[in-house]
Amino acid sequence: MTYCFHVGICLCLVLFQTTVMPYFHLFDRFYDLLAPFVIYLSLFQSLRQSIPVILFFGFLMDSLSGGPFGLYLTTYIWLFIGVKWIITFLHVGDSFLLPFIVAAGVLLQNCIFIGTIAISEPGTQSLSAAISMVTVQVLWAIFTGPIFLMVFNYSHGKWNKWLEKVFAKVNS
Amino acid sequence: MVMIVGVIVLIAVNIILLSVSNRRYLSYYGPGRIAISLVAPFQEAVSSSIRFVRDIWGHYFFLVKAAQENDNFKKALSHAVEINNLHKELKLSNVRLRSLLNFRKTIIDKVIAAEVISKDPSPWFKTIMIDKGKDDSVKKGVAVVMPEGIVGQVTEVSTHYSKVLLIIDQNSAVDGLVQRNRARGIIKGGSADRCLFKYVLRKNDVAVGDTVVSSGLDGVFPKGLPVGHVSGVIKPNSGIFQEVSVTPYVDFEKLEEVLVVLNHKKHKF
Repeated sequence: MTYCFHVGICLCLVLFQTTVMPYFHLFDRFYDLLAPFVIYLSLFQSLRQSIPVILFFGFLMDSLSGGPFGLYLTTYIWLFIGVKWIITFLHVGDSFLLPFIVAAGVLLQNCIFIGTIAISEPGTQSLSAAISMVTVQVLWAIFTGPIFLMVFNYSHGKWNKWLEKVFAKVNS
Repeated sequence: MVMIVGVIVLIAVNIILLSVSNRRYLSYYGPGRIAISLVAPFQEAVSSSIRFVRDIWGHYFFLVKAAQENDNFKKALSHAVEINNLHKELKLSNVRLRSLLNFRKTIIDKVIAAEVISKDPSPWFKTIMIDKGKDDSVKKGVAVVMPEGIVGQVTEVSTHYSKVLLIIDQNSAVDGLVQRNRARGIIKGGSADRCLFKYVLRKNDVAVGDTVVSSGLDGVFPKGLPVGHVSGVIKPNSGIFQEVSVTPYVDFEKLEEVLVVLNHKKHKF
């Protein structure tokens, strides 16, 4: 059932990102919405519950994007590993750290993207445009990232409570 | 120590896999097709809903604005009719001149209209998804155009949907010509929704404002389609090429409908 919740949330995020957000120019340089979800999985969910979702949505995003196949999968896996490593010495319950963790995640994702573009098509991206894009995305992540994390956590809690009620009714 | 070596090996394997995947684009029967078939219907539904709401808003709540626009459109229409008559005359004279020069009759390619249902999830890559696929005779590699100019090329096809690589993506390349003096080069995607007109010889006179059209030599895009206008020229002191930037005529931010060229006849060399 947790998988259903994760898949539902991710699907909504993908649809919002590819169909609704392009209508608003304000979000032209918004970060990948699945990045905070991957961070949420690595912070609050177990390895068994996270890995299948990450693999599935990495594959899905690679199919929808114009980048080389495996790029999103790569970024999500490294993001997951990176955050898992960070929480071994940082206290995740401290909500003060959340904006910086999301920002670092978005920065890591962009670094992998830029690295891939630099290897495959050197000289096509201007340095100033790349820096401007990454800066805007990181700023968005600092201010909105923790909100996403809290919404995911809250929704998951509500989902679990609703499921408990449903099962209790079915059993009685 | 073992962990550091492990991480280095992982990174190396990762880079190699990405390089291989980047060089060999997945086939049309690849797993990407399944994912597109899974997500695209939802994307189409959401896009249709947004358009429906927007149309209601436009039709019923902005009638006053529509009336004003109507007056403006009537004026614009009368102006367009004049221009149209002029174009008809030019077309007739063009036909006469072509026959005089014994030019081969132009074959009009079959096109199909498609609606844009979603855009690339990443701002680093420029692709769109359209609602026409294999069932509508769309094939991998065919050209996608607009009346304003070239849009891109189909890179992946599923049963009812296709992915289009826009000309502003860094992976895109179109063989082009400067309309005025036929200087040749390759139009590649650049940053900030612009293109780079690469490999244009330094000796060629290219000026800001020149129109760049497709040459047709790439075998993908029909010859003579407008691509954009030259927005910047840098002639370095050394080297054999000049740096030319091109602003496309197509506004990729407002792309809603496109035309897919189905039976473009490729030139034989």
